[in-house]
Amino acid sequence: MSFISDMTVRSPWLFRINAGSCNGCDVELATTAFIPRYDVERLGCKYCGSPRHADIVFITGPLTVRMKDKVLRVWHDIPEPKVTIAVGICPISGGVFRGGHPIAGPVDRYLPVDVNVPGCPPRPQAIMEGVLLAKDIWLERVRAQEEARQSLKKLGARPEEKKEEPFIDAGYL
Amino acid sequence: MLGIFKILLRNLRQGPATHPFPFAEAHTPPRFRGRVTMLPEKCVGCGVCAHVCPGEAIRLQPSLDNTGYSFSIWHNSCALCGSCRHFCPTGAISLTNDWHLSHRQSEKYTTAEHHLVPYLRCAGCGEPIRMLPPELAARIYAHKPPGVENLGELMKLCPACRRLEILKREAIAAANA
Repeated sequence: MSFISDMTVRSPWLFRINAGSCNGCDVELATTAFIPRYDVERLGCKYCGSPRHADIVFITGPLTVRMKDKVLRVWHDIPEPKVTIAVGICPISGGVFRGGHPIAGPVDRYLPVDVNVPGCPPRPQAIMEGVLLAKDIWLERVRAQEEARQSLKKLGARPEEKKEEPFIDAGYL
Repeated sequence: MLGIFKILLRNLRQGPATHPFPFAEAHTPPRFRGRVTMLPEKCVGCGVCAHVCPGEAIRLQPSLDNTGYSFSIWHNSCALCGSCRHFCPTGAISLTNDWHLSHRQSEKYTTAEHHLVPYLRCAGCGEPIRMLPPELAARIYAHKPPGVENLGELMKLCPACRRLEILKREAIAAANA
């Protein structure tokens, strides 16, 4: 790691997936991003519109049966290294919808979740705390990936081409 | 043209609109509904909190060795609605204004509050009984059964022994009168 790469920290781009949320947590996420009072962009984060540009992904909602395959497809589109944040009690534990017939979640049954932000909905500052936690995890992962690439380079080996794995539909019906 | 100077002046006077949160403590109203907490010395184990909890975040279970009952709140399932606080007959449950609940996945199942509320022993028969706080006892025995001066002594008995004791004292009071 050089001095310059130590001093220039990369900025994570945020993306959010609504997995059947009531929109409460989405409103709080929008608040965190778009109103100057909370302004998550101060932390070097930026919302983006495409999962292929994202680094940190928020998942809201209890993961309904209808949304499950779509959510998984979008989540698999996000390039590694990525960090997943579950926002609200629904994706974390199912919340008040736990055990309901249209609920496939909690989300960590299907995806590796890294940070949990409980609340119904969590207040914007709590979401920002979660973003800070996620940013630490993400920077660790970026560094690990970079180190792996460097050591491969030293060995003279070509980085293995990652094969595009076809998305396997878990199938719920 | 002058309008922008007006806005500039106003912004200078008011200061930044952005809260300095991650770098300074955020303003939290004192009545903000945050993490649920419970005082084991006030709990009577009625279980109404677990009954009204929409997210099934509260669980009451008798302990395996029958020395008390365990009370647990899982914050990851709590919708912070405040129903438990509203329905708690003794005010044992309250909502703090602590909202720092964000955590890593490894702490998912440990962001909870656990208490073991011990049973008392009945002074008459030795059966395990749940604690009844004096305020609630005063409400239950508002009519003051005759011959009973001190409710505290009655509260050390199990319901069956208490009934017998009250009957005994009533009979003595009736005989005296």
